[in-house]
Amino acid sequence: MGDTATARAASGGLTATEHRLANGLRVVLSEDHLTPVAAVCLWYDVGSRHEVKGRTGLAHLFEHLMFQGSAQVKGNGHFELVQGAGGSLNGTTSFERTNYFETMPAHQLELALWLEADRMGTLLTALDDESMENQRDVVKNERRQRYDNVPYGTAFEKLTALAYPEGHPYHHTPIGSMADLDAATLEDAREFFRTYYAPNNAVLSVVGDIDPGQTLAWIEKYFGSIPGHEGKRPPRDGSLPDTIGSELREVVREEVPARALMAAYRLPEDGTRAADAADVALTVLGGGESSRLYNRLVRRDRSAVAAGFGLLRLAGAPSLGWLDVKASGDVEIPAIETAVDEELARFAAEGPTAEEMERAQAQLEREWLDRLGTVAGRADELCRYAVLFGDPQLALTAVGRVLDVTADEVRQAAAERLRPDNRAVLVYEPLTAEEAGPADQTDTATGEEAAASE
Amino acid sequence: MSDVITPAMDLHPQPAGGAPRPWAFPAPERTTLDNGLTVLTCHRPGQQVVAVEVLLDSPLDTEPEGLDGLATIMARAFSEGTDRDSAEEFAAELERCGATLDAFADHPGVRLSLEVPVSRLEKALGLLADALRAPAFAEAEIERLVRNRLDEIPHEQANPARRAAKELSRQLFPAGSRVSRPRQGTEETVERIDAAAVRAFYERHVRPATATAVVVGDLEGTDLGALLAGSLGAWQGDAGQPNPVPPVTADDTGRVVIVDRPGAVQTQLLIGRVGPDRHDRVWPAQVLGTYSLGGTLTSRLDRVLREEKGYTYGVRSFAQVLRSTPEGTGAAMLAISGSVDTESTGPALDDLWKVLRTLAAEGLTDAELDTAVQNLVGVAPLKYETAAAVASTLADQVEQHLPDDFQARLYRMMTETGATEATAAVVSAFPADRLVTVLVGDASRIAEPVRALGIGEVSVVTG
Repeated sequence: MGDTATARAASGGLTATEHRLANGLRVVLSEDHLTPVAAVCLWYDVGSRHEVKGRTGLAHLFEHLMFQGSAQVKGNGHFELVQGAGGSLNGTTSFERTNYFETMPAHQLELALWLEADRMGTLLTALDDESMENQRDVVKNERRQRYDNVPYGTAFEKLTALAYPEGHPYHHTPIGSMADLDAATLEDAREFFRTYYAPNNAVLSVVGDIDPGQTLAWIEKYFGSIPGHEGKRPPRDGSLPDTIGSELREVVREEVPARALMAAYRLPEDGTRAADAADVALTVLGGGESSRLYNRLVRRDRSAVAAGFGLLRLAGAPSLGWLDVKASGDVEIPAIETAVDEELARFAAEGPTAEEMERAQAQLEREWLDRLGTVAGRADELCRYAVLFGDPQLALTAVGRVLDVTADEVRQAAAERLRPDNRAVLVYEPLTAEEAGPADQTDTATGEEAAASE
Repeated sequence: MSDVITPAMDLHPQPAGGAPRPWAFPAPERTTLDNGLTVLTCHRPGQQVVAVEVLLDSPLDTEPEGLDGLATIMARAFSEGTDRDSAEEFAAELERCGATLDAFADHPGVRLSLEVPVSRLEKALGLLADALRAPAFAEAEIERLVRNRLDEIPHEQANPARRAAKELSRQLFPAGSRVSRPRQGTEETVERIDAAAVRAFYERHVRPATATAVVVGDLEGTDLGALLAGSLGAWQGDAGQPNPVPPVTADDTGRVVIVDRPGAVQTQLLIGRVGPDRHDRVWPAQVLGTYSLGGTLTSRLDRVLREEKGYTYGVRSFAQVLRSTPEGTGAAMLAISGSVDTESTGPALDDLWKVLRTLAAEGLTDAELDTAVQNLVGVAPLKYETAAAVASTLADQVEQHLPDDFQARLYRMMTETGATEATAAVVSAFPADRLVTVLVGDASRIAEPVRALGIGEVSVVTG
């Protein structure tokens, strides 16, 4: 084990130490003894951006296969053992990474480490056709449930395909296409594991009521003998010009309950000050019920039932600002679009008021407190900054960076990026009664609390 | 490459866990303010985001005839202006605190949920108190909320899971009962709502004497008594009487209703009936049995439907309390939900019924029950890590007329429950011949295979 451990003071009284095993596995530990729980989070530096043409969805399908057993864990044993120990777990796949996490009662931490090590080292001894065929069907049903069988369900996929050009690593979303899910073979899955699942392509974080010395000893014991390798292929280059250059547009005529105006704006890469400024800009314009677009479209014009902006932060390609407006009654899209353009232009010219800055930053600060308020959230953020930016400590100071952004930087972000010539527009027009006829991230287990909500 | 792969790593035996560190569901302090408001407080070290829940005794069955959705509009109108702030100003002030305020009307009453960093608790409590004490209910804002609500309804109709929930309530409960109808009203009832109706409903049902506030978070160094006295303590109202709770009855004659969705690629399933609420002695056993049936992807339903057959991304069984009374005469909806691809609808339902019948015939194993106890009890410290989670459960207990230590006792009772009791509870909760099945899907493709299963008469509705 290397001697790279350093403890640094960080914001909010939270600290993290960093370590590296001889096989290249990076480890981040953070103690917090308030509750007897411990979160284990493992990020592999592989996501849908690493997929090749004809094999979209493979990273996510593979994530499912990671729960189908390994050398010492039979079948669904990973789920059974964690849940039987009073823990909760899941895995998720996004454009840029795949993460696996177990939140355990503190006295069961060692079990979670053993389980993660077993599949990191030995997955291929258990992976077979039966689990491949079964999980292929499960994932196809996940795709139907979350995207294909709900109104506007494929909007994000369509926007992504517009905003990132054909051939770009972010052109397709992690769920992949049905055709590619059908085409994936067991050998593709094996090859994927051999290429990307290695200790030197991962970061492990453990956060909570832990003894750091004991935890490191367990990590060394269980992960230390897994050989590292350099088989990984880097993702295709995701860089693009700062702006799209001219507006892209797609009109979808589908059986949806109302007209909708959506758009994707190309924004600065995550990890930059400009991305934080864009985050504040989107919050002022479209975050919450005191935002400019909500006030204009929902309160004053009454042209929309909902209106807001979301930010998808990306490190390996331009981030994406997602506008989502659902029309009210019979209001037509041009009326909404004109109002949106007016608000964006006015904001780009005048910038936010001091009070708007205060509100947006207070909202973003609370979101960060929420993220860092649970051991699982903290473990995930430490991995994120370690994998994407090489420094987990940045997670603990991220909120400070958002609060440091100035009104002029926010105005500048809007002026440079929130322009009609830097967006892909997606318009939904519902089919009329006569026409109607037969017609960002994705995870392993359904996460919602079961309930019958109307 | 060879199919026999030898791991390159050193294998170690599965570790045994250490000794559990003690944890108990937190006990709140209960006080009453001078205005009659009941307050539950719970200090949770380290939880910088404080959660405040306020329960109002304004159940949906007290909405006037033909005005379903009135409680929902009132709940939403609380954050649309007060005697101090316009609607826009109120939203702005709240967000300036970094706070969120949600309000929702359900069968037992209206619930407001505030979350705010503890550093700005005072300001946010002041806004919450303004909303309850002196809501503006301006005509223009109410009219906008009504329009907005009307716009939402088609979106809910289009969503298969929500459409299924609405149909199941309509099927299960007598037509005249409030529980049979959508919580947030229909187009016909919502469009009749105006500011005068909202004001009258507020005056009739909203008062501190019949309300409860729950405050949870890191309250070290916060003089909560003084903050409450200066905010929610200033809310005035008369004594008021608690609203009576009508009994819940249901028709669970086994039958199938298909809500037709031509061309749907999946069928949404919602299979349910009504059972006891948390006051019933069977509750701990029913929680364990229901988890073993469909609580997770290693439970009986998903072991077959997902992990063996691949018909679904996941099917869950659960109980959702509808109404409770101090006397213990309340009811919960018991249900199984999920979605399966259209082609597999018949085979999936066939397997689902086989799972139920096998469970009734053979019962749960001791190992299954042990897993359920270990998970449900063991997971508590994680489940209740945040202030919001603790506040929500404490508020549920108040709303359901349960003692403040109910959750803590429930965990103890679960550890004392055996497989025989859990089997009896889940089998009586989900009897194979007394379940109402709602399917939202393509009737032309699923009706025949479903009829062939013999799980009840099949009818088709549209819309």
